[in-house]
Amino acid sequence: MNTNSTKRTSSLSAIHKLLPLLKEEKGQLALTVLTVLVASGINLAVPFIFGYAVDNFIKKANYQGIFATTGGLFVAFLVALVTSYAQMQFTGRIGQRVLFRLRNMIFAKLQSLPIAFFNRNKAGDLISRINNDTDKLNQFFSETLVRFTMSIVMIIGSGTFLLVLNWRLGLAALIPALVLFVFTQATSGWIKKRNAEALRATGGLSAEIQESLEHFKVVVAFDRRDYFRRRFAEVNNINFKAAVRAGISSALYSPIYDIASNLAILVVLGYGLNLASQSIITVGLLLSFLIYIERFYGPLRQIAMLWNSLQLALAAWDRVSEILEEPMDLPVVDALTSHNDDSLIRFNAVGFGYPERPNVLSDIKIDLKPGKTYALVGPTGGGKTTTASLMARLYDPSEGVILFDGRDLRTYSDEERTKKIGFILQEPFLFTGTVLENIFYANPDYVDKDRESKIATIDTMGLARLLSRFENGVDTPVSGADSISLGQKQLIAFMRAVLRKPELLILDEATANIDTITEQSLQEVLDQLPKSTTKVIIAHRLNTIENADEIFFVNEGRLQAAGNLQNAVDMLMHGKRQS
Amino acid sequence: MQKKNTLFSLLPRYKGFIAGLLTLSVFGKVLSLTFPKLVAAGIDTYTHGTFNLVTVAIPFLIIGGVMLTSDYILGILGIYASERVASDLRQQVADKISRQSYTFVQSTTASKLLTNLTSDIDAIKMFVSQGMIILVSSLVLLIGASVMLIVTNWKLGLVVLLMIPIMAFMFYGIFSQVGALFGASQKIIDRLNKTINESILGATLIRVLNGQEAESAKFIVVNSDAKENGLKILRVFSSMIPLITFISSLATLAILSFGGHLVIIGQMSVGELAAFNSYVGILIFPMLMLGFMSNMIARSSASYARVAEVLDAPEIPQGGDYKADLIGNIELRNVSVAYGEHPVLKDVSFKLPAKTRTAILGPTAAGKTQLLNVLTGLTPPKSGEVLYDNHPVMSYDSESLHSQVGMVFQDSIVFNLSVRENIAFGHEVKPEAIEKAIDTAELKNFIDTLPNGFDTLVSERGTSLSGGQKQRLMLARALAIEPRVLLLDDFTARVDTNTEHRILENVRKNYPDITLISVTQKIASVQDYDHIILLMEGEVLAQGTHTHLMETSPEYVQIFNSQRSTNQYEH
Repeated sequence: MNTNSTKRTSSLSAIHKLLPLLKEEKGQLALTVLTVLVASGINLAVPFIFGYAVDNFIKKANYQGIFATTGGLFVAFLVALVTSYAQMQFTGRIGQRVLFRLRNMIFAKLQSLPIAFFNRNKAGDLISRINNDTDKLNQFFSETLVRFTMSIVMIIGSGTFLLVLNWRLGLAALIPALVLFVFTQATSGWIKKRNAEALRATGGLSAEIQESLEHFKVVVAFDRRDYFRRRFAEVNNINFKAAVRAGISSALYSPIYDIASNLAILVVLGYGLNLASQSIITVGLLLSFLIYIERFYGPLRQIAMLWNSLQLALAAWDRVSEILEEPMDLPVVDALTSHNDDSLIRFNAVGFGYPERPNVLSDIKIDLKPGKTYALVGPTGGGKTTTASLMARLYDPSEGVILFDGRDLRTYSDEERTKKIGFILQEPFLFTGTVLENIFYANPDYVDKDRESKIATIDTMGLARLLSRFENGVDTPVSGADSISLGQKQLIAFMRAVLRKPELLILDEATANIDTITEQSLQEVLDQLPKSTTKVIIAHRLNTIENADEIFFVNEGRLQAAGNLQNAVDMLMHGKRQS
Repeated sequence: MQKKNTLFSLLPRYKGFIAGLLTLSVFGKVLSLTFPKLVAAGIDTYTHGTFNLVTVAIPFLIIGGVMLTSDYILGILGIYASERVASDLRQQVADKISRQSYTFVQSTTASKLLTNLTSDIDAIKMFVSQGMIILVSSLVLLIGASVMLIVTNWKLGLVVLLMIPIMAFMFYGIFSQVGALFGASQKIIDRLNKTINESILGATLIRVLNGQEAESAKFIVVNSDAKENGLKILRVFSSMIPLITFISSLATLAILSFGGHLVIIGQMSVGELAAFNSYVGILIFPMLMLGFMSNMIARSSASYARVAEVLDAPEIPQGGDYKADLIGNIELRNVSVAYGEHPVLKDVSFKLPAKTRTAILGPTAAGKTQLLNVLTGLTPPKSGEVLYDNHPVMSYDSESLHSQVGMVFQDSIVFNLSVRENIAFGHEVKPEAIEKAIDTAELKNFIDTLPNGFDTLVSERGTSLSGGQKQRLMLARALAIEPRVLLLDDFTARVDTNTEHRILENVRKNYPDITLISVTQKIASVQDYDHIILLMEGEVLAQGTHTHLMETSPEYVQIFNSQRSTNQYEH
């Protein structure tokens, strides 16, 4: 994802991109437009009526006329009150709903992106995009858009009145606006760029905070609190500069719009009085004109203030849409052929690499039969976890093909694949919640089951005694911080995976931090899985892999059969290694 | 209204800026008040037949030009001031956090702090850059326009000005409802941050379990709460602006009827009537602004209260001033540690002479990591003493202690810096020390394979490194400071046996004077250690040499037996 470039799209095309978000609100928008038209219509008619009253009633001392006008206007004002309240409600609600939908869209999109995306992007920056950047869009949709539409309607209305009442005077009054338009067009690209930089800097700030807080204990243990402060100061300063530059770029707007307004008044005064002296227009009309100018340039000034908000929203939208447009590079491929295979999983000359490290795995050939237990051993960094990750389709191979049950692994839907292939990660991850919630997380068979049946399942699988390690049993809270030990987390991860009864279970150093006695209990649990379950175990502890049917030695991105345990140990101890 | 005072208490520090902002703002607004008068004068000279375009135009243009300049400077100053306030506030919060204890940061949760530093401070910044100025300039306009109205025609003026108290009453009603709503909205942002955070950090797991729907379901809940809260706030505010417009329309009616009457009976000129309209126009704008601003001020106040909470949190001093070169004698006397209400270490005591090697064994959740946390001073003991060379650990000067005690944590923490910077993370690390540390941790081969060697950037959370590589990096980091005491938490869990042997031998050879404490699962590697401590459920079950424990502790024997079958392979 491009974190350092600014897309050169025009404001118009960007607004065009925002429109799909409003598609579902068509009905509401229509209502809103109606209320805006009514309220503004009334607002716009008033100056004209006022001018008319001055000429025909005040100047002619017609009290009846004055009272009639006053009465009529009062009713009109009441209508305007009701409609503008309705309008605010409509637009506000539209804004909230759009924001809601937008946030869901982005979050859902994040869920569908492959792992490689998360390796490339910092958590803090992503959080910033979903929260901060969408908030800018929110401010635009809920507050700014309302004022924007009100202003635009007023401007169009007043402008029309100005031209209709006396086209020569009207034109003269509108010339300063033309100048403003040109000015705005000329500077908007520059302003947008500055705003994009400011948002980027905020994303960077967010990312830095995120990382530093996660790493706090190392900062303390190595007494580098100064590092924490210094890093923060650097990012803070970058943010400061970017924000100031963005702000200054748009500081000229308001003052220029003000002076345009005043120039227009001057023009109307001079030219208007000239016309009045020739009896082409009346004084009353002039008065109306002056009010209409205010009704024209006032909202125009509003728009100047809001323009910055719009630019910010557009820049935010760019960042957000980058996520939305990110390609999903692990698509489910159509199944071409499938043949009966007595192997559960097969690697055919598989190769894999990352952009920075192209040869992580080379020419891997594996043939795993159902029901057997396999072990992968080897020096650290040799490629064991990568091999396992490919089995679970966290990545696609760069070369070769992986077959599961006779079919290309890529042809399985996410649901199918994750049901059949279980993976216990090296670093256990738990969500905020209770132990029970974590154990049954995203387990499709237990979504509708109640608490009792879940606990009963735990008993049946022989996992109950593991819960004695937890203070409050299944209700022990997990808060994502260090409330429970690493070993305990691995226990939960273990239970979570086993309860899904996968056909292939991969354990990536899943018991590394668990003591050997508890590990034996876990072994017993594994033994209770159906005999057809295939297990792939990655471990450094020899007693963990003691009972494997076959052992593979993985080193330097290559895999070879290691025969029996003694053979494997010899290779480990004496074989050439690199990592 | 106590919160409001606190938000405003930010201002005295920036009095220079604020004085400048206020002056320019007042100046500009006062100038703008003269325009209607010029217009009125123009119209009246016309009706009296003495109209001269030049005498009207020149003051117009001059005043306009001056206003342009002053408003532009005002704008820039406002931006600079608000960003300055935000930046200063952020640094203050960061500095405050940096001085806090580890337990504070844990309990406050990273997502809340993140919200504080971003969204909350943004809201406060808005107050300074826009809220404050608009508040004052609106007041100036209000007062100025009111004065002009009264001066032009006091009778009509008074009638028109009736609308001000009505609006004030309305503001008060709205303000009182709104404070709590904004506090709630920031809390919701906390939750949003946390949910997003977990789903990013747990991305791998979610894909492995196909948990995307579960995550989206969680997110929708928080997102819906955010929407509901937003709608509540909307309900309160959507009545404000229509009401303001209505009340000022009533003023227009007053001008039409009563003003019209005054013109008819000759107490007002038509020009003055026009001026009245202009002034009412000028009055509406600040009213509307105050309406928009009250929204912002309520939001800023709520945010400030949250930030103040962090800034005002009490600081527990992180250590004393005792500085000494450690010999390496370590002693724990009746140490107990609790995590909240839940005890994790109970009355633990042992004594380890310098230069010895000690292993700590025990089942999962025995409290082994907590023991090491206490030894590094990360977690203070609830009771009992932790002594280095007979001095309590908390009495040591923090830098002195941490430059002599090296810790390798169980979970890999690798910074988004180069390999070199990751290893040389401690204070004043010498190049020779780095070399030695790398050799000891068997990292040389690995670093040679990296594209930029030492200067290769390690990605966030070290995702491009394997578990064992990260652990060895952390070991090198701890060794690079040339510590007197080395604490290893389950170090060899992620490293194969061969490497493990070599590394531990290297440590013994290259750092002979170290007091080593190693939490481990494997008895085989530590059989010849000077001291072995068996920890279970927070208590020391047994301690001594391997031989002693084999004779006296049945639990120890049980552990040994569970590993015996493969021990033979490893020699």
